[in-house]
Amino acid sequence: MKAIFYRALKRIRPSMAAYDQALLWCVILLLTIGLVMVYSASIAMAEVDKDTGFRSTYFLIRHSIFLVVGVVAAFFSFSISTRTLQQYAPLLFILGVLLLILVLVPGIGREVNGSRRWLGLVVINLQPSELMKLAAAFYAADYTVRKAAFMGGDFWASITKGLLPMLFVMLIVGGLLLLEPDFGAFAVITAITMGLLFLGGFNWRLFAGLIVLLGIGFVGLIASSPYRRARVLGFLDPWQDPYGKGYQLSHSLIAFGRGEWHGVGLGASVEKLSYLPEAHTDFLMAIIAEEFGFLGVAVVVGLFAFLVFRCFMIGVQAAKLDRAYQALVAQGIGIWIGVQSVINIGVNMGLLPTKGLTLPLLSFGGSGIVANLLALGVVMRIDYENRQLMRGRKV
Amino acid sequence: MNRMIPPTQARKRYSQQLKLERWRVWFVIAGLLGLFAILLGRGLWLQVFNEEFLQGQGEARYARTLRLEANRGMITDRNGEPLAISTPVQSIWASPRSIALLPAGQTRPDDWEPESDKDPVPLSQDEVAKLARALGMPAADVVKKLGDPRRTNKGEVIKDKEGKPSRPDFVWLRRQMNPQDAKNVLALNIPGVYAQAEYRRYYPAGEIMAQIIGYTNIDGHGQEGLELARDKLLSGQTGSRTVIRDRRGYIVEDISTIVPPKDGETLALSIDRRIQYLAYRELNKAVSDFDAAGGSIVVLDARTGEILALANSPSYNPNSRAPIDPSKKRNRAITDLYEPGSTLKPLTIAAAMQAGTINAKTTFNTSPGALSMGGFTIKDTHNYGVLTPEGILVHSSNIGALKVALTMPRETQWNMLNAVGIGQRPGLGFPGESSGKLRPFKTWYPIEQGTMGYGYGLSVSLMQMAKAYQIFATDGIEHPVSLIKQPAPMPGKQVISPELAQTIRGYLEKVTQPGGTATRAQVVGYRVAGKTGTARKQSGGNYADKKYVGSFVGLAPVSNPRLIVAVMIDEPDIKKSIYGGAVAAPVFSSVVAGTLRLLGIPPDAPTNNILLPSPQDTKEDEAWVP
Repeated sequence: MKAIFYRALKRIRPSMAAYDQALLWCVILLLTIGLVMVYSASIAMAEVDKDTGFRSTYFLIRHSIFLVVGVVAAFFSFSISTRTLQQYAPLLFILGVLLLILVLVPGIGREVNGSRRWLGLVVINLQPSELMKLAAAFYAADYTVRKAAFMGGDFWASITKGLLPMLFVMLIVGGLLLLEPDFGAFAVITAITMGLLFLGGFNWRLFAGLIVLLGIGFVGLIASSPYRRARVLGFLDPWQDPYGKGYQLSHSLIAFGRGEWHGVGLGASVEKLSYLPEAHTDFLMAIIAEEFGFLGVAVVVGLFAFLVFRCFMIGVQAAKLDRAYQALVAQGIGIWIGVQSVINIGVNMGLLPTKGLTLPLLSFGGSGIVANLLALGVVMRIDYENRQLMRGRKV
Repeated sequence: MNRMIPPTQARKRYSQQLKLERWRVWFVIAGLLGLFAILLGRGLWLQVFNEEFLQGQGEARYARTLRLEANRGMITDRNGEPLAISTPVQSIWASPRSIALLPAGQTRPDDWEPESDKDPVPLSQDEVAKLARALGMPAADVVKKLGDPRRTNKGEVIKDKEGKPSRPDFVWLRRQMNPQDAKNVLALNIPGVYAQAEYRRYYPAGEIMAQIIGYTNIDGHGQEGLELARDKLLSGQTGSRTVIRDRRGYIVEDISTIVPPKDGETLALSIDRRIQYLAYRELNKAVSDFDAAGGSIVVLDARTGEILALANSPSYNPNSRAPIDPSKKRNRAITDLYEPGSTLKPLTIAAAMQAGTINAKTTFNTSPGALSMGGFTIKDTHNYGVLTPEGILVHSSNIGALKVALTMPRETQWNMLNAVGIGQRPGLGFPGESSGKLRPFKTWYPIEQGTMGYGYGLSVSLMQMAKAYQIFATDGIEHPVSLIKQPAPMPGKQVISPELAQTIRGYLEKVTQPGGTATRAQVVGYRVAGKTGTARKQSGGNYADKKYVGSFVGLAPVSNPRLIVAVMIDEPDIKKSIYGGAVAAPVFSSVVAGTLRLLGIPPDAPTNNILLPSPQDTKEDEAWVP
């Protein structure tokens, strides 16, 4: 009797897939929106730019190439066992630090708009800070697992053996990033490492105190550099100097305002007509908001929220299976995508100072999108392994 | 070393120790989802609640309101013949700020690109020379226009922030070129050089109508004449179009409905171009024949009060942009005042007969041709003896007119002059229209009442005299005069009785017949009537020596008057003639002859009626000498 019932149930409910289909479709949807919007946002600008050879499809073609590279990269990272990843996590992290040093070497690193963020390779420009975010997630997860004994235990031990080594490493990485300067990447990497320490069971009272300290540190950093201070002041009231410091932000806000509920329609944005700088990269969200209105904003924000939620749930599943490292990596990547998209959209909406962070999966930008897809390939792998384990198979 | 432990082993070791607490995961998820919620809230605020302000800011940045020029209305004569028309032209302008002139010999590299929007485009001397040739200007002028810095009103050079002379964003290179020439200029494709569509005003009638029509300035605003007086009606209303432009200035879309321009209305004048031409030609001829300082002529339609012609001499060509002598711009017939002299006598007689203080048979003794009164001596040319009212007009007796005036109360005389419009603006709506001078009768001394009887001590414009004579032409009805074509005659007022009007008309006809002062006013085939006037000109409160105004005001044909023509010749050469009968009456004669024929009015005296007196018998009225 019971057997018949189960058999019938199995007919109704197909067996569990081998991978997370919802997550996959969410990513594909975001990439598609990104491709369409990068083209829409760049078309007018590319058409009149000498550097693009006056080709309107310049950015569309490049973005498509990056997507293909990114998808290949995702398959690659999906095919690597998470145990291998864990094994190489410290090595990857050291490689990332080396690249961050390399980017600061004149002649190797390329300077754009006063920041040294790019390594000029033969074909594409590599942005080490993007890969560093992934390496940081791997390393912090590995670190937390290794230092498990000091996470929730004795107060002094958790400071000296749990926190200080990480703080030391972060000082090096953070220092290198601020030398570029790449404040946005610094903020994201700090969020990933701190987040993983917290999720790993780090004494929460100590953690709360640390957050306060970090907050003070941030304020200090902002106050110390005129470059950063100017950017911060510009965001507080863009209408104070709408043709100077507040130019980009005021145009971004105007784009939001023009969108209303449904937007002006795909392709009908006025802000992208050379008014809003960086419309296809950092300020892609403003163009989405103008062309698709609040509806478009809600869809994109919703997709990101879902993506982040899935990452965390995969992490929870892994934790249930006693795979703490995999759990933390998935959640670290979730924090990365979540924090970076929140910061980018927040910047677009005038809630945060302009940082130079792209919108994950959507914005034009080679290294960024490849790094995002690499990371999501890892998340898919963790989920895949979870499912295999739940079916009683080995990974 | 720790790191070299095989992964499986490592996993076992760590996972036994690390316990991941579920609440921390939910805490972080809640935090991140909370941030996403804040983003949605902010998005809602920006896009749905604050969108008005933001869109306003956006429009301030890329919306532009373009003017759509209205076509200026045409001015035509009463038959629809164009007198002022606007033709499309192109004006070429440049933005010197966006141009940098290269020294001779240098050329712009083919691959030249601006580094920023504000970078000026280098322009070689060769290109400037080509531009100048296409503009039809010397190259040096073009260089000067492109190179001149901005200046304050005092002529000081304005400097920019870096202390360099600031360069203007806009300068006209050449206004109002014909479209084909402008196209050739634009075909050169010189950066920073643009064309603006404009209209140029063209006056086919030229100097014939100059003072009536006036002219517009280069920007199309009326400056003189009807172009000024009716500027609002003619210029219409400019329309507007609000568009969004991209940063390079291309129009992307319209953001509000286009307000189409309302073209100016066509102004149809009462003037008949053919009569005007005739009047101007004859007047000009008389002015040059008698070496006069100037002259005016007014032709009125006796039935409606419409002005069929109004010409002044000297005149100017309104199509030329050369500076105009202000004395030529005056519409003398309307703005200039003179003492009417003898042409006023019929009004005096009419007033007295209307009041009943005299009748056709009342006689006045004008012997011995001179009269002393209040310290003045009033003279006639001859001793005419005893005269009836008709005799007073025919011989133009000053003494007779004075005596007639003194038969009536001051008020009666004033009422008549006032009723025919003396001392009042004719109401043409024309800039600088004069009301003339007619003092309140309470201030009149008897001698003044007397001199006013023969046209001194008051001043009028020629238009007022033509208007006043309407009562003799229309059986006593006075119509308002008009420069604009009237669909129907405006209501007039009866000033004197029809019988009296006919009586005076009869007297005035006699004036043009042998024995009268205006035999040269006669027209073959038509009976005409009128009165001459020769007045000494006042200058600085005294009567000037040897400066006279000869005038004639008349009507035709007498049996059924259709025209009133007033002619005034200002300061004819004293060596030739000063008398209205000699200088002004012939103009009347030729204009009336031509006009009656043009209008197809049948002759009322088909037989040859010209009766010229023998030369020694020619009468001239005397200019009064105080």
